[in-house]
Amino acid sequence: MEEDDHLSKPTTTTDPSDSALQRKHAAMIERLSNLHQSRSTRKPESESNSTSSFLSRFSESKNSIESTLSRIRQTPDPHSNPTLKPELDNVSLSISNLEKLVAENSFSLPSYEVRTCLKTVADLKQIVEQVACDVIPKKKFSFKNKSTKKTTTQNDDLGVRVLDNNSQNVESRDLGFKVLDSPGFRGNENEVLVKEFNNRGSDEEIREFVLSDLRGCEVRLMGNIRALFVNKLIDCKVYVGPVFGSVLIDEAKDCVFMMASHQIRIHQAKMCDFYLRVRSRPIIEDSNGVRFAPYCLKYDGIEKDLEEANLGEETGNWSNVDDFKWLRAVQSPNWSILPENERLGAVDISTRDAKISC
Amino acid sequence: MGLLSIIRKIKRKEKEMRILMVGLDNSGKTTIVLKINGEDTSVISPTLGFNIKTITYQKYTLNIWDVGGQKTIRSYWRNYFEQTDGLVWVVDSSDLRRLDDCRYELHNLLKEERLSGASLLIFANKQDIQGALSPDEIAKVLNLEAMDNSRHWRIVGCSAYTGDGLLDGFDWLVQDIASRIYMLD
Repeated sequence: MEEDDHLSKPTTTTDPSDSALQRKHAAMIERLSNLHQSRSTRKPESESNSTSSFLSRFSESKNSIESTLSRIRQTPDPHSNPTLKPELDNVSLSISNLEKLVAENSFSLPSYEVRTCLKTVADLKQIVEQVACDVIPKKKFSFKNKSTKKTTTQNDDLGVRVLDNNSQNVESRDLGFKVLDSPGFRGNENEVLVKEFNNRGSDEEIREFVLSDLRGCEVRLMGNIRALFVNKLIDCKVYVGPVFGSVLIDEAKDCVFMMASHQIRIHQAKMCDFYLRVRSRPIIEDSNGVRFAPYCLKYDGIEKDLEEANLGEETGNWSNVDDFKWLRAVQSPNWSILPENERLGAVDISTRDAKISC
Repeated sequence: MGLLSIIRKIKRKEKEMRILMVGLDNSGKTTIVLKINGEDTSVISPTLGFNIKTITYQKYTLNIWDVGGQKTIRSYWRNYFEQTDGLVWVVDSSDLRRLDDCRYELHNLLKEERLSGASLLIFANKQDIQGALSPDEIAKVLNLEAMDNSRHWRIVGCSAYTGDGLLDGFDWLVQDIASRIYMLD
C-alpha cells in the first residue's frame, strides 16, 4: 500500500523535494526487487541442496547394502560358512539405519521422495529375508525342534515327580538356568493336604502356591497367599484362605472350591461348586455345570487374614459371573446359582478333621 | 515458508502414539494401564472386550488399547493391529506352567505383518512375587533372541502391584517410537 502511495505522488505533485523523493523511491524499489530475487533463488536452492545431498547419501548406503547382499548370495557353499550370519545381521542393521535416516529427513523431503525411499527400504528388507532364507534355511526348523524336546521332558517331569510343599530345584528344559519350582501340592491321591502360611510372624514371605494333578484329595490352605494356580483336579475339596492377588483354575472336575480372592478365573471346569468371595467379577471359560455360592470358610484367625487381604466384606460378586463362552444378555446355561438348600454350611478347617455342619 | 512452518506445527501437535497391550489372561495388562494412569487398582475384573485409555506421557499422547487376554477372545486381537506404533506384551512371570503358551502366542503375534514395524516392549510382570522368574530368564524361555533382528524390542521387569519398572518400560517404548516416527528435536 505504501509503495502505491509513493508511486502516485510524483505524478500529481510538483514539490521541490520531488527528485529526492524519486531517488529514495527508486532505491526502495531496487531493495525490494533484490530481496525478492534473493528469496526466490536462494530458498529452493537450499532445499534442493539438502534433498539432493540426502538422496546421494541414501543411494550410497543402498548401493553398499545391495552389493553386500549379492556377495552373500554368491558365496559358494553358504551352509557351512559361519561368517554369513553376522554379516546378514549387519546388513539388516544398516537397513534400519537407512530407515531412520528417511524418518529424520521426512520433514524436509518432498513426499514423493519419502515414498520412494520407504519403498526402497521395504524392498531391501524383503531381499534380506529372502537371502536369509536361502543361506540359513535351517534356522526356523531348529527352533521347532527345541520346543518339542522341551514338552517331552516336561511331560516326563509330570509323570514321575511327586512334589511335596517344599520348593525344589527342577532342571528346566535345556534353558541354561534352573527354575525354582513354585511351592505346592502335586500328584497326590486320596490325601488330606494341609498347609498353613504363617505370614503373621513373617518367617515366610507371602508368595504363590500351586495345586496340580490331584485326585480325591482334600486341600486346606490357611493364611494369606499372593497367587494360587490350580491345574487338573478331579474329585477334590479345596478350602483356601484369602488370596491377595488372583486365582487361576484350569481343568477341574467334580470338585468343591471355597476361596476368597481379588480375581478368579475358571477354565475348563465341569460339575464343580464354587463358594467364593471376590473383589471383582469371577469369570468362567469352556466350563459347564458349575454352580456358585457365597464363601463360608472358617479357621482360627480367618477374620484377621481376610481384613489384611482387603477381603473383609462380602461384595456379592460371587453371583456376578461372566461366561466368556456366552456373550449374550440371557443367563448362560453353563453356570447357575447353587440352591440354598444344597449349600454346605460353614466349613471349619482349623480342627484336624474338618467339621462340616449342615 | 509460511506453509512449511504450519505443517510442522500441526505435526508436532499430533504427537500421538497408538499402543496395543496384549498377553495371556491374568498377566496384569489392565492393572498396568490403570497403575500408570494413577488409578485405583484394587478392584479389576478380567477384561471382557477391551479398554481404551488416552494418557499424556512426556510430550506425547498415548492411546493405549488394553485388550482382554482370555483364550476365547485372543482371536479378536487382530482387529486391533492396524496403525499400532508400540506393542506391549505382558507376561505373568510367576505362572511357570503357562510360559509355553505364552511363547507360542507371542511368536504367533509377531508373524503378523501389520505389526512388523511396531516397537515391542515385554513386561516381565509380577516381579514382587517371590517365585517369579527374572526378566533374563523370561527372555530365554520366550526365545526372544530368535526374533527377526529388524525388530526394536526390550524386556523390562516390573510389578504392576507396586508400580516398579512401569515407567522404565514406557520411557523406552515412547522414546523408541518417537525416534522412528518423529523428527528428533
